[in-house]
Amino acid sequence: MQKDSFYTVNPAVNICFFAAVMLITTFVLHPVIVGVSLAAACAYTLMLKGRKAFVYMLAFVVPVVLAVSVINPLFNHEGVTVLFYLWNGNAMTYEAVIYGCVSACMFAALIMWFFCLNCVMTSDKYVYLFGRIIPTLSLVFSMVLRFVPGIISRIREVSQARRSISPDFGKNPIKGIRHGLSTVSVTVTWALEKAVNVSDSMKSRGYGLGRRTSFSVFSFDKRDCALSAIMLVCFAACVAALASKTISFRFYPSIKQTFAGWAAYGGCAAFAVLCALPVLLNIKENIAWRILKSRI
Amino acid sequence: MSEKTNKEDKKKAYRLALSVIVALILVPAVIALGVAVWDDRKFYIVSLIIIIMSMVPFALRFESRKLRARELVVLAAMIAIGVAARAAFYMTPQFKPAVAVAIITGIAFGCESGFIAGAMIAFVSNFIFGQGSWTPWQMEAMGILGFLGGILFHKRDGSLPKLLPLCVFGGLGTLIIYGLIVDTSTVITTQSVITWEKLTAAYVSGFGPNIVHAAATVIFLLILAKPLLGKLNRVRVKYGLLE
Amino acid sequence: MANIKIENLTFTYPGASQPALKSVSLDVKEGELLLVIGRSGCGKSTLLRHLKTALTPHGSSEGSVLVNGTRLSDIPEREQAERIGFVFQHPDDQIVTDKVWHELAFGLESLGMDAAGMRLRVAEMASYFGLENVFYKNVSELSGGQKQLLNLASVMALSPDLIVLDEPTSQLDPIAAFNFLTTVKKLNTELGITVILTEHRLEEALPFADKVAVMENGSITVPDTPRNTARNLYASHSPMFAAMPAAAKLSCELGMDNVALTPGEGRGMLLSMGLAPKLISDKPEKANVKEPVIEASELYFRYEKDEPDILKKLDFDIYAGEIYGLVGGNGAGKSTLLSVLSGARTPYRGKIIIGGQRKKGRFSAFEERIGMLSQDPRTVFSGNTVGEDLKTAAMNRGGEDVEKRIADAARLMDIEDLLDRNPFDLSGGEQQRTAIAIVMLTQPRVLLLDEPTKGMDAAVKAAFGEKLCELRNGGTAILIVTHDTEFCAEFADRVGMMFDGSIVTENATREFFCRNTFYTTAANRIARDVYMNAILTEEVAGLVREDKQRR
Repeated sequence: MQKDSFYTVNPAVNICFFAAVMLITTFVLHPVIVGVSLAAACAYTLMLKGRKAFVYMLAFVVPVVLAVSVINPLFNHEGVTVLFYLWNGNAMTYEAVIYGCVSACMFAALIMWFFCLNCVMTSDKYVYLFGRIIPTLSLVFSMVLRFVPGIISRIREVSQARRSISPDFGKNPIKGIRHGLSTVSVTVTWALEKAVNVSDSMKSRGYGLGRRTSFSVFSFDKRDCALSAIMLVCFAACVAALASKTISFRFYPSIKQTFAGWAAYGGCAAFAVLCALPVLLNIKENIAWRILKSRI
Repeated sequence: MSEKTNKEDKKKAYRLALSVIVALILVPAVIALGVAVWDDRKFYIVSLIIIIMSMVPFALRFESRKLRARELVVLAAMIAIGVAARAAFYMTPQFKPAVAVAIITGIAFGCESGFIAGAMIAFVSNFIFGQGSWTPWQMEAMGILGFLGGILFHKRDGSLPKLLPLCVFGGLGTLIIYGLIVDTSTVITTQSVITWEKLTAAYVSGFGPNIVHAAATVIFLLILAKPLLGKLNRVRVKYGLLE
Repeated sequence: MANIKIENLTFTYPGASQPALKSVSLDVKEGELLLVIGRSGCGKSTLLRHLKTALTPHGSSEGSVLVNGTRLSDIPEREQAERIGFVFQHPDDQIVTDKVWHELAFGLESLGMDAAGMRLRVAEMASYFGLENVFYKNVSELSGGQKQLLNLASVMALSPDLIVLDEPTSQLDPIAAFNFLTTVKKLNTELGITVILTEHRLEEALPFADKVAVMENGSITVPDTPRNTARNLYASHSPMFAAMPAAAKLSCELGMDNVALTPGEGRGMLLSMGLAPKLISDKPEKANVKEPVIEASELYFRYEKDEPDILKKLDFDIYAGEIYGLVGGNGAGKSTLLSVLSGARTPYRGKIIIGGQRKKGRFSAFEERIGMLSQDPRTVFSGNTVGEDLKTAAMNRGGEDVEKRIADAARLMDIEDLLDRNPFDLSGGEQQRTAIAIVMLTQPRVLLLDEPTKGMDAAVKAAFGEKLCELRNGGTAILIVTHDTEFCAEFADRVGMMFDGSIVTENATREFFCRNTFYTTAANRIARDVYMNAILTEEVAGLVREDKQRR
């Protein structure tokens, strides 16, 4: 995790990257685009979490992909090329199968990207991003993150403490739930009492006296500038290519795909660069380190 | 003095109406429009934009309210309790108390805080359960439930709502509003061509888990509503919170 | 710079019949470290809260608080936020945000400081307070001591010239507490910051103070030096004298001209008196055969398969009618041992025998009649009144004459007047006694107490100890896990020391302490050259007097 270079760039760059990639991935149902996105997502997942985690991911993603790709042709009977007829007389069409597969791959790519997002976008980055636009909510968010571990361990503490003063309700689910919820209720009393103390500490440190600024440990450096520029150019190129209709894929009634001309190749290449940005960044900095080391 | 309060009341009523329009009418309307007009992926994006859009007025209102430290912390504490409670019941994925906590917060502190609490519980608990394409939908669904809880049961004098209507609302709300929104989102994200058959299939297959979720909400409201609202009211009266 | 003058301040809480502060006058000079002492509920916190408008409680007040000659109410809140820093009792209840760096910046953010300025301040604070290693961490990962240091640092980030600390170390273990106080003293001497501090545990705090003021029932004395304060308290037979450090108590009781404050000074004092060495010989214990309540042998426990053992080859037993004190540093596994003994966790190897029956796997503490109280007594409260909670507990156990048992327990724990109160509104000592009454009503044969004396003042602690002795005499076995060596020395029958997952030594209390060099009472440290096995101040004082009479 810590070794991921993309993790260390400015959160705004992080979130823009994910937004751009996911937007195009979900928006453009074209096998090439989906394929590029899926490949890049897999590569980045591998880089982030290693081979073992990747295999775990596959065990989770593959069944979902299969389910999604099967559901579509079962419910959708458009398309002209009939493969065979189902038990209920509906047609299973070639187009629907292809459509199912492509959208399943799109979905798989999305899952992978979200997995990467969960690794990269840690909660403090959201606090930073929101801090600029919605400072009060960002503060509430930060406070919630601060309270949750305390409340969870308090619930545990209370239920442990109550083991010695009340019988074990393991066998009676209704009493058990009641008991569990009264634990929650006791915890609420405690949390509210604590909340009043916390607010004293906030007031004591000047909360509510004027406009708040927001401190962060993140900075926007030249690397972030460069990455943003690359992202912007790639995104624009990709969108332009899509707008020029040189990349399109029609499924129904019959498959008709367009992917030709320099605009299409350029747009696709731009998207590939965009998707692979974190991976490329990691490779670049790895090489830089190797060179530095070899000089010593 | 009375003129001023009148004006304030009017302003409040106006804001409330605006919020209602956005949360309950505009959003479903544009979603419906999306279903009708677009039959491609575009409509996924559009519905997502609508969801984010619908949260904007709440966020802006919240920012402009200049809440005092105590109000802020108590709200944060309630959200944290919702998140912790969801985490505590992680073994039973559908049997979760988060919706009940959002509704209770809405009842105690009014509809706007209810929306914020619901949306925030969904957002923060997904740091434990994993963010995904479902996050905005869950935020919206929980937010609406917290919002409705506030509209239907929030009383200025802090009197407790009757349990029966509350539980009916909680159960049906979870089953219909939450279930519908989240199941629809599954179809929208996984499928590009949205057909009634697919939606029906999703609702049918989601019915079981939704019933469990609704039952959980009812049980949690039944047991938690009275004591929690009592405690929140004490704090609210003592410090004049969120009015 | 801060120079505080309080003039005839009288304050009454709404609805209270008695004022909480009775015409309090206090003068604190710039750069002074003032220690305010007094029993719980004497009005210390109320007084401190009057030093900042944002924290002043509602109620009617007269008199004035002047800071550098200006009335506090005339100083803008913004300036107050910067110049007057507050640190409260509970380390956890003051932290607002989730990251250490964010917490350090919180006050600066509130005041709207620019990014460059904040960066500098935050960096300064993190390095001055040694928080660099935890800078990026979540606050929930910090220890209690680190949290309190963070609170101090985030207050200091605003560069105040007065810091007010309300029992800041009462929730910390002795090492963290000493560390914290040293830091406060350093701020005081290096930066000339005026400090107003309240404390219950005076062994460490008193020597640090320039001046000490004593509060009693809302009135305050004129601040005096620590030595004079000790002398005055002794002369006026004040109950507060019990809280003084062992060396000060000893020198006052022996009528010395010079009052010693630290064990080192006390030791020098005794050595200079030319006393004859002597050993205390305890009366041989009555040879009544005691029955073991819990016997545990060779317990091994760890939380996760791949993690190191928390309990290693741990042998422990406790007998009916004894108080066993378990001491040891943080992370030695004391709390884990309690959860294993109460059946919440299962050791992966070893034997636990309770009341003669071997227990395997998880067992119910309630069924086995093991009463367990965690560090926070509030964990066992659930009802709206004390009476309700007592009743629930008694009904859970069932049986006859519930009412009588409740009345007995309430009398024993001295909470008869509190039955209609909300348990959350009680003071710390009252909560502790109520919690024990609740647990006692489930008729446990053994009581496991985790840090029961945390945050108690000396008088409350002594009364609490007496209650425990009564329970012990009734035949209950009591295990106290604590950092409080003085409490153990006074009330425990046996003491064990836990280190690295096992009990390394275990002995009758006197033997235990006189064999330790560091982990012992202050009285023992003072007297060990002369009276090797004296562990209580009274014992030392008695022996010295005997010696003098003989001469």
